[in-house]
Formats: sequence, C-alpha cells, structure tokens
Amino acid sequence: MADYALMNQLLFEGKHKIVQQMTEEALAEGLDVAAVLEDGLIAGMRVVGEDFKRNRIFVPEVLLAARAMKAGMAILRPLLTERGDADTSETIVMGTVKGDLHDIGKNLVGMMAEGAGFTIVDLGTDTSAEEFIAAVREHDAAILGMSALLTTTMIYMPKVVEAVKASGLDVKIAVGGAPVTPEFANEIGADGYGADAASAVNVFKELVAAREASRTSP
Amino acid sequence: MRARMEILETSLIERIVDEALSILETTGVLVEHDDAFDRLVVAGFTGTKDNRRITFPRPIMEEALASAPSSLTLHDRDGNPHATLSGDRVHFVPGSSALRILDRKTGEIREPSSPDFVDYVKIANGMKHLSYLSTAFIPKDVPQDIADAWRLYMVLSYSKQPIVSGAFTAFGVPRMGQLMAYFRDDRQDLIDRPMSIFTCCPNTPLRWGEDPISNIIDCAEWGIPMEIVPVLLLGMISPSTTVGALVLHTAEVLSGLAIAQRIRPGTPVLFGGAPASFHMKLMTNPMTAVEALQLYCGYAQIADHLKIPSQAYMALSDSKFNDSQAGLETGMGAILASLAGINSVSGPGMLDYVNCFSLEKLAFDDEVVAHARRFIEPVEVKEDLPTQALIDELVREKHLMMSEHTLEHWPEELYIPGPMVDRTNWEQWEEHGSKTFKERAAEVIDECLEDYDVEPLDAALHKEIRTLFASTCSDKEVALPEFE
Repeated sequence: MADYALMNQLLFEGKHKIVQQMTEEALAEGLDVAAVLEDGLIAGMRVVGEDFKRNRIFVPEVLLAARAMKAGMAILRPLLTERGDADTSETIVMGTVKGDLHDIGKNLVGMMAEGAGFTIVDLGTDTSAEEFIAAVREHDAAILGMSALLTTTMIYMPKVVEAVKASGLDVKIAVGGAPVTPEFANEIGADGYGADAASAVNVFKELVAAREASRTSP
Repeated sequence: MRARMEILETSLIERIVDEALSILETTGVLVEHDDAFDRLVVAGFTGTKDNRRITFPRPIMEEALASAPSSLTLHDRDGNPHATLSGDRVHFVPGSSALRILDRKTGEIREPSSPDFVDYVKIANGMKHLSYLSTAFIPKDVPQDIADAWRLYMVLSYSKQPIVSGAFTAFGVPRMGQLMAYFRDDRQDLIDRPMSIFTCCPNTPLRWGEDPISNIIDCAEWGIPMEIVPVLLLGMISPSTTVGALVLHTAEVLSGLAIAQRIRPGTPVLFGGAPASFHMKLMTNPMTAVEALQLYCGYAQIADHLKIPSQAYMALSDSKFNDSQAGLETGMGAILASLAGINSVSGPGMLDYVNCFSLEKLAFDDEVVAHARRFIEPVEVKEDLPTQALIDELVREKHLMMSEHTLEHWPEELYIPGPMVDRTNWEQWEEHGSKTFKERAAEVIDECLEDYDVEPLDAALHKEIRTLFASTCSDKEVALPEFE
C-alpha cells in the first residue's frame, strides 16, 4: 500500500528519484492516478507552498521539491492526458521577448510552475510574436508567458498581445519582469501579471481557472 | 581572514602611548575630591595636597598595564558565562543613560517612567543580535538619588542578561554592588562571575571629579568591571587633530586604569570612549562626526596594542528622529566599530546626542548590527576553490539554485534580514500591506513583547531589594513604583 505521508515528506525533501519510483509503485499497486496525484504529490507541494510563505523554507528547497513533483508528474501525465482530466498539467508557453536576452527570472518562473504541475514549453530568449503563436498552437497551450528585463524590450509585449488576439487563439497571456507593472499589463491587454516567481504560479492557476470557466459558461 | 581596519601604524601607536605616559608622569590628573585624593595617596600614588594633582610614575603604569586583564567574561543573572570581551570579538549593547524617550505610539519626546523601562527591558531582551543589555534611560518616577540602582534592579527583574550600567552619584556604586551580590553567593563570587560593566567618565581634560573618582575606586574595591569613557570634544577640550586627541584620550583612560589596578590588581577595565567633535558654529558635540569616528577607530587600535578590551559609543545617531541621517550614522558607526574590532559597542536605540532613546530605533539597529556582524565574518574557502566543478555545473544547469554546494552554504552565506530592512520589490511591498518603517517596527516590538518569557524573581528577593532601596534613599517615605 502506498505510503502517501512518506511520499509527501520525500517530495518536500526534494528526493526526486525516490518520488518517481514511489509514483510508479503506487500505480503498479492499482491505485487511482488522480489519487496518487492529489494525495502523493500535490499534498506534499501544498506543505512546500505553506512553508515557503511562512519563511520556513526558501527558493532552493522549493525548486528541489518542484523537481521531485516534476519527476512524479512525468509518470502520471500520460495517464492523466489519456483520461482527459489533467487540469494541473496545462501547458504554458513562455519566453523572453524579442530583443531581450535575459532569462534568469523567466527560468525561475518556469521551474516553479513545473513544480506546481504545469507543463512548460520554454522558447528561450529573443522570442518573436510569430514564434509565440506557433508554439501556443502546436502545444495547445493554456497560457502564454512573456518576460522582459528592459524598458526598451518590454514595449514588444503589446505587439505580441495584439498578434495573439488577431490570431483568435484561446490562450491567456501573463507578463512579468523587472520593469513590468500591473498597470502596464492592464494597459496592453494582458490577462495576468506576476511580481515574482511564486506569485506568477498563482496567477497561472487563476488564469487556467478563468479559461475553464469561460469555456464552460453558456 | 576577518575584515579588520587599521588607521595607525604601529610606530605611531607606540609614540602616542609613550606621549600619554609622559603626560601622566609629569602633568598627571586633577582629583577634585579630598577623600578620594587621600585614598589614592594611601594606595601608593604620589600627589600634592595643595593642587590635588596625582602623577603616575612609569613603574606604576607598567605594573598597571601588566595586571589589567586582556579578557572579560560577563555572566548572566544566574551566573552562567554569557559573553567574552577580548581580541577582536565585537558585541553590541543598547546605548545608555538617555534622559528622554521617543514615544513610539504618540511620537512625543518625553521623560521616561518605570513602565517605559520595563517595556524596554522586555524588548531589548528579545533582540536577536544584541549581546547584552544596558540601563538605557533614566526613569523620572523615582527619586533621582536611587535612579541608577533602580534601573539596574529593573533590568535584573526582567532579564537574565549582563548589563552595562553606572552610578549617578559618588555613593552609588556600593548600593548597586550590594544589589548585584543578591544574585551571587558572596562578594567574591560577584568578582569571579561579573554580571555588569560600569561606566566611569573622567572630566576632560585630565580631571577626575568627585562622582567618577569615587565610582572608579568603589568599582575596583567591589571588583566590578568598568569602562573608562573620556568625552573629548575635538577643538574645544581636546586638540582638534586626531593624533593629539588620541594622546589625551589615552592618558585619561590609562589614568583610570592605573587607579583601578592600584586599588585591586586584576580589575577588568575597558579602554572606552565617547569622543565627539565640537561644532564650531552650533556649539554642539556630534559623536557621529566623521573625525570623531576616526578617533574611535584609532583608540581601538591603541587598546588592542595594549591588550586591553575596548568599548565605544558607536552605532548610534545624533539625529532627532529615525530618519535618513539616523540610518547613515548608525550604519557607519556599526560597520566601523566592527572593522575596528571594538569589544563592547554601546549605541543601538540612541538618538539626539545620547539624550533620547527610541525603541523603534532599537528594533532597526538590531538589524544594523546583524549586517555589521555578517560583514566581518571571515572569508574562507568553502568547497569553492578549485571552482571548475561549480562553474561546470553552472554552465550545464544554467543556475546553481539546486546545487548541493548552494544548499550546503547559502543559509550561512546569504543573510536574510528581518522585517526592519525591507527587501521586497514594490509589488511585494504593496501585497504585504505597504508597511511603513513605524508599522514594521511596531510589529517587531509587539512580537518581542508577546514572546517575552523570562523567569521572574521570587517575591522574597523583591522584598529584600525594595528594603535596600527604602533604607538608602534620601526620601525615607518614598513610594517606589510597583510592577508585575
């Protein structure tokens, strides 16, 4: 019988190989994939999130736990997709905008988001509107995440927003980066803004929920 | 190696000390109290009754410097070792003896009372980076002839930590010695396990008035460690130049040290100071003036050369409020004191030329102290030389946030300040309530008060101590404030 408490603890400690092995063993025992996801992985990440908020653990520990979460998700994702109930494995296409080569913050957001169960398609730096749109289309992404570090490159963001809207894609757009503000995000018509990596993940969850709601509403 | 700052060459230190000893040998010090003068003559000093000047022959000074301890270990209320002052160990302690407080709730600058003092002790007791406590300000709701011992009593009632204190009158020390002895087996035990440092200030230039000379003699007789704290005013009652001021400063400290060693060889004495510049227009005496800071660092080097523990009034501000000037002066003082290796730094919490104590500033200064302490931690190889493996990992992974090396070392290497130093970005700051300096200070202070948990003194001891106060107060009908 899978020991979810132990699995949560090992995930908390960032032991990704053992978490992956325990995920496989749980499925081999015939346990429901949704239960393994919820009780084995997400419950552990919930404690990670809570402890991070309370200053008991810090970024490195969160990233290690996120890596363990990702290792478990690698086993669960194909099964969840098969069943069609993979809400937390929605795909985010992200990149630093055209003209900007800074990616540290964007990479951190990606790692944190993977830890929360999202699938990340990282387009890297210097990404054009066309590349964003093509990737969203190819991966059926729920969210497009854009980052910029410079005031001279953030002005490319509205161009991406315009191009995405013109394309008619059903994707939410989130923006972030040092010079970006909530006001700017609102002004250019982005759907969400993250001040830091932790809050960006919360924004992604809200955007997924909003997207789901708009799809199901009459 | 540990970061260390030196502003004097060794040859110059030797010349300054030699000059100070010559001045003590020829000019000596004026002792402005007949009884004290007689006691010093009995103790072996040479002096002329007519001018009450005591001189210090070199052999006496050599003997004194040889018997003065190079290390002092302060013990807590229960007698456990708490802090050792020696070498380049740096300790910070709240500034002492303010006349007023900046009321954190009303913003008013007012005279303090005993309840204010109890609050202070509970809050200072909870500061993470201060090493021990002081009798920070003077409550005005008790007769002033017992206020010195009353402050000491309140610290002993609410904290176990050692205390920097001092007497206000010529007869203050014995009563305070008696008070501290209640917490030891006997007087010898108080000498063996000291719990306090008493401040004794000569009256610059080269004078010892009735109160300080009586205090220094009494402290030595009781074996109470003392800090000799000359208050030079550069350009007024001291040469305006650093070297000349250091000679005078050294002479004054060594005169006190020699007196203490003559009375009781081995009495711990700190080479202290509270020098200030004299403002040639405003006629004020800024202790945080840049030239005064140079003097502090210089005498710390002299103390180190003589192998005497050092003390300084630094990490404080002459500003009236908790403003940018306060941050500049306190931060600069704390860093310089740390780099100079000053053993006991009195200052946190203090504003306005040591006249006003602020609990909000104390909360902020605790964080300043943490920064200063972190800065002087030795730089050592920590599995990062050779560096190739780490660089390979960085290039491969694009970051080191999950590296074993980072996990092992970041908690000690990357200091995360408490709430008094705001490291949020604008959005995080707004998300956390857009808290001002005052609001964050209030939270830190309230948390200290909530977390306060020190074993109280037993009722019988309280009664005994209060009897001591009643029997030694000039006002025999005095009604002393009651507290929990």
